Amino acid sequence: MLRPGLSVAAMALAVSSATAVHAEGLLTHRDLSASMALTMAETAIDTCTKNGYRVSVTIVDREGDTILQVHGDNAGPHTVENSRRKAYTARTFGVPSGEFAERVKNNPGASAVTVLPSIVAIQGGLPIKVGDDVVGAIGVSGAPGGEKDEACSKAAIDKVADLLK
Amino acid sequence: MVRFGFAVVVVALVLAGAAPAQSQGVIMHHDLSALTAMTMAETALETCIKNGNRVSVTVVDRQGETLVQVRGDNATPHTVENSRRKAYTARTFGISSGEFAERVKADPLRWAQTTLPSIIALQGALPIKVGDEVIGAIGVSGSPGGDKDEVCAKAGIDKVADQLK
Repeated sequence: MLRPGLSVAAMALAVSSATAVHAEGLLTHRDLSASMALTMAETAIDTCTKNGYRVSVTIVDREGDTILQVHGDNAGPHTVENSRRKAYTARTFGVPSGEFAERVKNNPGASAVTVLPSIVAIQGGLPIKVGDDVVGAIGVSGAPGGEKDEACSKAAIDKVADLLK
Repeated sequence: MVRFGFAVVVVALVLAGAAPAQSQGVIMHHDLSALTAMTMAETALETCIKNGNRVSVTVVDRQGETLVQVRGDNATPHTVENSRRKAYTARTFGISSGEFAERVKADPLRWAQTTLPSIIALQGALPIKVGDEVIGAIGVSGSPGGDKDEVCAKAGIDKVADQLK
C-alpha cells in the first residue's frame, strides 16, 4: 500500500508542477504576450498615478528578460532599472520581491544571493503565474514605500487575471 | 532699411525656434508623456502585426533615453536593441533613420557618425516633433525591410498627432 500511495503522490506532483518533471523532447511554454504586458504596465502606472505616485514599470518574461519597460512621467531616473530588478527578483525566486527582502533580513544564505546581478531585496515586484508556473513578473518603483509599489503591481496582475490560464 | 530688415529676421528666428536663442534661466520643454508613448508603441505594434510582421518598438525621449520599449510577440532577439538604436538615431539627427542611412551612403562625415554609440544607419524610425522641435523618436525593427518598419512608426505618430502641440 505504501508504494502505490507514493507513486500517486509523485504523479500528483508531476501534474501540478511542470518544473518537477524531466521533460522528454521539446518543452511547451505559456508566455506573456506583448498585449498583456502593455495592459499590465498601463494599469500599474494608472493605479500609482491615482494614488499620487510617479513610478516606472518593467515586465519580464519567463527568462527574466524585459518584455516591456516604461519610464513614467516625472519618475526618478533610478526607478526604471529598479523596477526591472524587482521584477527579475520576483521572477527568479517565484515570490514577491518584498517576501525575498524579508528572507534576506533573517537568512545569511538569502542575503548572499543579493550580490548576483539584477537581484534587489526591495518590495514592489510580483511574480506572474499561470497556476503554479511562473511565466514572468512585474516590478514597480517610485512610490515612497515598496508596499505602495506592490499595490500597483497587484492591480496590474488582477487586471489580466482572466487571461492567465 | 537693410539693418531694420535684418533685426526683424533675427526676431522672427528667435520666435520660431527655441534652439538658436540663448535661454535665460530655466528652460521650458514639451516632453512626451508615458501614456502618449505607450499609445504610440501599441499602435506601431498593432500596425505591423496587421501587416504580418513581428516587431519590437522603442520610444525615446528628448535626450534619447528610452521611455517605452516593447518586445513584440515572437519578434527576434536583436529587434529590441535595433529599434532603440533606430529611434536614437532619428532623435539625435532630427530626421528619419532611413534618411540618415541614405546620407551615409554618400557622405563620409555621416559614415563617421555611425561609429558613435547607438547610431545605426537603418530605416524604421521617425523623429517625434512639436512644430520644428524634436521631442523624441519612435523606432521599429523586425519587418523584412526598413520601409515596412517605418510605416508602423508613422502609424504610431499619426495616432497621437493631435497631442503633439
